[in-house]
Amino acid sequence: MTHHFSEDELTLYYYGEGRRRHDIERHLESCAACAATHREIAGTLAMIAAPEVPERGDQYGLEVWQRIRHKLPEPEPSAWSTLTSLFRPGRLAIAAAAAIVVLAAFTAGRVWPRLPAAGTPQPVTTTAAGSMTAGSDSRQRILLTSVADHLDQSERVLTDIMNAPRGDISAEQRWANDLLDASRLYRQDAVDAGERSVAAILDDLERSLIEIVNSPSKISAADLEQIRRRIDAASLLFKVRVMSDELRKREDAPDRSTPRSSTSTRVTS
Amino acid sequence: MDATEAAAVLARARQGDSDAFRALVEQHSRSVFRLAFRMTGNEQDAEDVVQESFLRAYRQLGRFESRANFGTWLYRIVSNCSVDLMRSKQARHDQVRGDSLDEGAMELPAADVPGPERMAQSAEIDRRVQHALQELSPLERAAFTLRHYEGRSIDEISATLGLGTSAAKHSVFRAVKKLRIALAPLRSQES
Repeated sequence: MTHHFSEDELTLYYYGEGRRRHDIERHLESCAACAATHREIAGTLAMIAAPEVPERGDQYGLEVWQRIRHKLPEPEPSAWSTLTSLFRPGRLAIAAAAAIVVLAAFTAGRVWPRLPAAGTPQPVTTTAAGSMTAGSDSRQRILLTSVADHLDQSERVLTDIMNAPRGDISAEQRWANDLLDASRLYRQDAVDAGERSVAAILDDLERSLIEIVNSPSKISAADLEQIRRRIDAASLLFKVRVMSDELRKREDAPDRSTPRSSTSTRVTS
Repeated sequence: MDATEAAAVLARARQGDSDAFRALVEQHSRSVFRLAFRMTGNEQDAEDVVQESFLRAYRQLGRFESRANFGTWLYRIVSNCSVDLMRSKQARHDQVRGDSLDEGAMELPAADVPGPERMAQSAEIDRRVQHALQELSPLERAAFTLRHYEGRSIDEISATLGLGTSAAKHSVFRAVKKLRIALAPLRSQES
């Protein structure tokens, strides 16, 4: 009894695959039915020529890069890169600076008495909760000062970018890069302190700083214009200025109300 | 870019160096576009696949093993992005289509079968081939593209699309069956 081969086997044979190629070859010479099926398969597949792919020029890779570079997400870090990134010199310096700020805030909170404002009832903190509140206020005050300074510096970088001529922006990029790590730390501090509006502006600022840092140093007019449009669209310069002013006022305010208004102080006579 | 330089660029890209990743994008964009176009059959879709593939690659660079070949790894990402895009388009168009063979659905209206003169025109053949390819499910189309246009073996198709060997093989078989049915009018006109 003659064994015929299935369409699937003949398809694999057409593509040069399958384990029984010699058997099939011999069979096709003697079996008209299988040979006809094979001819039909081959004839159909021969009609399907590779489509002509539209031409893409030498600059295509660069065009793709321009399209995606603003959308690049945070890569999923490998364990090794996470470990090594912690010990980069720049990161160490930033971490050391942040540690000093935290230490200063902690010390200030423990040592400095809370200064009463003239003409206002004097809150006397006699409980443990009261001591914590005084410390928290000092830390908050240092955070406000630091963030206001940071916003002022960032404003200067953004202003430079808004007014920079087309060409080399490497100086602005280095400056933006220095501010970037600090910006992340302050944003996190602001989140922890419940300063949501500050955190939101720092978040916007961080995006613009990243964009500036990741742009080519020798920037084209079009790319520079794109960065400026984003800064404009987010009203970033305006927001940064207003927030910086607001933080300065809060620094100077004798009895400021903070987003965490659940401070418990007792007034004693 | 020689092998040593390529390895160095790749290593820097894996550490988050965007300039290095840019070099990889510039190096591979055209081949990525070619595969994406063959997979999707549409220029705009291919461009979308190119972008999404590189973004996905960037996100997953940490998972890439340096011993592996970046081009092969990227090829896999492009293939799967293409399948994802075709699936989402299919879902959007609410085209309910199982993987099972539905011969009725493959038949073109009788009035649409062109006469012998038009059959001789290769443009008309191409049009009908493209139509037939569009009728395949995303997985069938991807498997067929890899086998027929890209010359990949069943084992390679299986690895690229993350399928078992049997599933990869049957995706190709189903595609070929559907194409034979769809293109039968052309064959009968020819003979």
